[in-house]
Amino acid sequence: MSAVVIVENLHYAYPPFRSGGEPLPVLKGVNLRIGQGEFVAIMGPTGAGKTTLCLALNGIVPHSMGGVMRGNVLVAGLNTKEHRVADLAQRVGLVFQDAESQLFNMTVEDEVAFGPESLGLDRQEIGERVEWALQAVRMEDFRRRPPFQLSGGQKQRVAIAAILAMRPQVLVLDEPTAGLDPIGKHEVFAVVRELKENLGVTIVLVEQDSERIAEFAERVVVLNEGRLVLDDEPRRVFAQVERMHTIGLAVPQVSELAHRLNVRLGTDYAFITLGDAFAALNERSPTFLEAGRSGRANLSPPLRKGSAGKKDCEDPSSAQPCIVVKDLWYHYENEAPALVDIDLDVADGDYVAVIGQNGSGKTTLVKHFNGLLKPTRGQVTVEGQDTRRIAVGELSQQVGYVFQNPDHQIFAPTTREEIAFGPRNLGLNAGEVEARVEEALSFFDLRACAEVPPAILGYGLRRKVTLASVVAMRPRILVLDEPTNGLDWRSAMELMGLLAHLQAAGHTIILITHDMRLAARYAARSLVLHNGRVLLYEDTHQVFAQQEVLRQSYLSPPQITQLAQSLVPCGLSGRSLTVDEFCAEYLSP
Amino acid sequence: MSFDLYVARSSWLHTLDPRVKLLFVVLSTVLLLTLTNLYLFLAILALYHLIIFSAGIPVSRVRWAWRVILPPTILIPLLWPLFYQEGGPVLLHWGPFRVSAMSWWEGVAMAARLDALAFAFFTWLFSTDQTSLVRGFVRLGLPFEWGLMLTIALRYVPTFYGAFVTISEAQAARGLVIPRRNLVKRIRAYLPILVAMIISALRTSDKLATAMESRALGLQGVKRTCLRDIRFRPTDYIYTTLLVAVFSVLFILRFQFSFGTHLLRLF
Repeated sequence: MSAVVIVENLHYAYPPFRSGGEPLPVLKGVNLRIGQGEFVAIMGPTGAGKTTLCLALNGIVPHSMGGVMRGNVLVAGLNTKEHRVADLAQRVGLVFQDAESQLFNMTVEDEVAFGPESLGLDRQEIGERVEWALQAVRMEDFRRRPPFQLSGGQKQRVAIAAILAMRPQVLVLDEPTAGLDPIGKHEVFAVVRELKENLGVTIVLVEQDSERIAEFAERVVVLNEGRLVLDDEPRRVFAQVERMHTIGLAVPQVSELAHRLNVRLGTDYAFITLGDAFAALNERSPTFLEAGRSGRANLSPPLRKGSAGKKDCEDPSSAQPCIVVKDLWYHYENEAPALVDIDLDVADGDYVAVIGQNGSGKTTLVKHFNGLLKPTRGQVTVEGQDTRRIAVGELSQQVGYVFQNPDHQIFAPTTREEIAFGPRNLGLNAGEVEARVEEALSFFDLRACAEVPPAILGYGLRRKVTLASVVAMRPRILVLDEPTNGLDWRSAMELMGLLAHLQAAGHTIILITHDMRLAARYAARSLVLHNGRVLLYEDTHQVFAQQEVLRQSYLSPPQITQLAQSLVPCGLSGRSLTVDEFCAEYLSP
Repeated sequence: MSFDLYVARSSWLHTLDPRVKLLFVVLSTVLLLTLTNLYLFLAILALYHLIIFSAGIPVSRVRWAWRVILPPTILIPLLWPLFYQEGGPVLLHWGPFRVSAMSWWEGVAMAARLDALAFAFFTWLFSTDQTSLVRGFVRLGLPFEWGLMLTIALRYVPTFYGAFVTISEAQAARGLVIPRRNLVKRIRAYLPILVAMIISALRTSDKLATAMESRALGLQGVKRTCLRDIRFRPTDYIYTTLLVAVFSVLFILRFQFSFGTHLLRLF
């Protein structure tokens, strides 16, 4: 296979923030060869240099960024140092994470035509390319629509088409599905796979979702601290569970399971997909059944005890509800109802995951909890007060709301000031504000950046600052809209750990998420919304047991739960929500 | 939220070259500013409505347009007499204010002129999508980069408005209250929203620049082409000729024979 991308000993440092400062080294000697038609996934924790590597592939690094570059990048025989970004655009196309800023035209057609127009092609050629590219991503029916009115998945497909129309040999996608709902993710991955299989496009994909990588990629490259630390086929990479966790990355749940079983049973499993795991464990079932049958009767009790620990304080019958929603309807102006007849209670101290596709009403619902939206019909009561009779500012004492994008909140000149903003708005005296800021800085481990402008911090830290600035107001109820979006596995786990701490301290947690593994692992109850209606609202174990109902809203349980459910004929209960629970059941007598 | 007034149809007006429509707007503006006759203003206003309806623009859109221009339409006749005190019978005398019949009618004419002007622009904006609008300007000699800038400015209006709403909500959820009355306090309270807006706009524009570069914008030695270029078709020539003829007659009448310069008398 001839190499279409050659990266030789690439070093790169961004120019310093302040004049006279030190350059910031990001890539520290990367070597990489990618063959024509390959599908390579790049993984790495935040700050590892993934985006920088992508930008280096089409020459934006160093041409537009400045900074210091050593080593060489050759794409389709062209050295990026000697060619301008616009020239390289025909060899290598870059699709970015943020759809909003890469779709800058008035219509989908203009968007896709923009590249070929810049290349100075004649009109007929442009027309053909636009047609072809739109068909390749199955967006030909949206030609005249403004891109910003499309769904997340559709936007990314248009972004891909806009790049494809320049006919690059290599397509580089930098986390194109971060922040998309499950349907959107599926759409984008399906399109990317078709491009590789039908058109032979070389794909370089930066992605955090190891389960998707296992399904699609032929090769995984792991970047850590500016160096390439692993480069192998997915099966070999995901077998190194401990190594990946040390780097701060996730492996598929079945790979983690394989690792645990190998340690305990001395097997040599190397699962990367659900199919792998099912085939192997299903085969083994006879012995498991023999060993298990007798013990089966007392299999469930330890399991239930294990999960009951999580739910002790959340039995809805014993705790007072802190939020009561009655016959809630909500209409945005001139639109179909966004919420239809919602009735639910949230118990004090509970941990509720809100799941469903984009547009299912998740954000609309939780905005009623802090009064940002008032019911069109029906009633929402928070801590006994009708939200219609109380201002958002006043409710902010009881309900903290952490918005999806940290940049929609950050404004202060220092992190300390940012955190102090909320407590000050509550009218607390200077001493109390100070005390709360100090407490939040320690709890969220932000002391090192207390005097730094939060806007220049990395994404993970910005996320933590926004959480700290809401928690410092000491609300009893915390609402979080996809807080782990854009975080790597380690930062996401750290954040979820902090939330679990807060819950243990008596806070009620309401978490919107597209990550079913998080809902399964942390939430006692899960609320499934679909087209503005409540599809399910019960114990998380019960919710994920109802595959049929979940399927109505295009959701599926976490991989490990799917595995457990498929192994029910072999004697498993099928209720496991985490790898821990699965192992506990599978390995006990 | 969008500043796009365009109503998608395929009428004679929609398919007209945007440059012809622009010419119509320019000529209308000049004519309306040189005329002073109330009846002519009303007649022109009625004609514009005919044009708009013949292009299939729904009544709801026209009603919306009227709602927008209603406040000045009411205020001008009320306030005009206070500042311009013309002769004629005095209708009302109060302190230093004297409202004469003439000055009141003049106010009415001013309002009608403003409405007619507004509808000349509405005729153009209702029937021209933003892409052709910008392309029209570019073909008239505006540099492509300026046109692109204009497109992007129009394109990002809803985005920035959306960001403004979200940021306002995010700060309200942190207890920020915007005071109703005190202007100084009000401006200060908006700071956390404005600063966050600026930071997020900077981030967006940074990414936007990278995205445009990745789409080969500014390729050296290549003349940019265009998928949907606008071209003058025979109908465009016919309408242009018609337009020029009608307006020439009107201008000759106006400047040679002072037609339409009396407020309430046509001839």
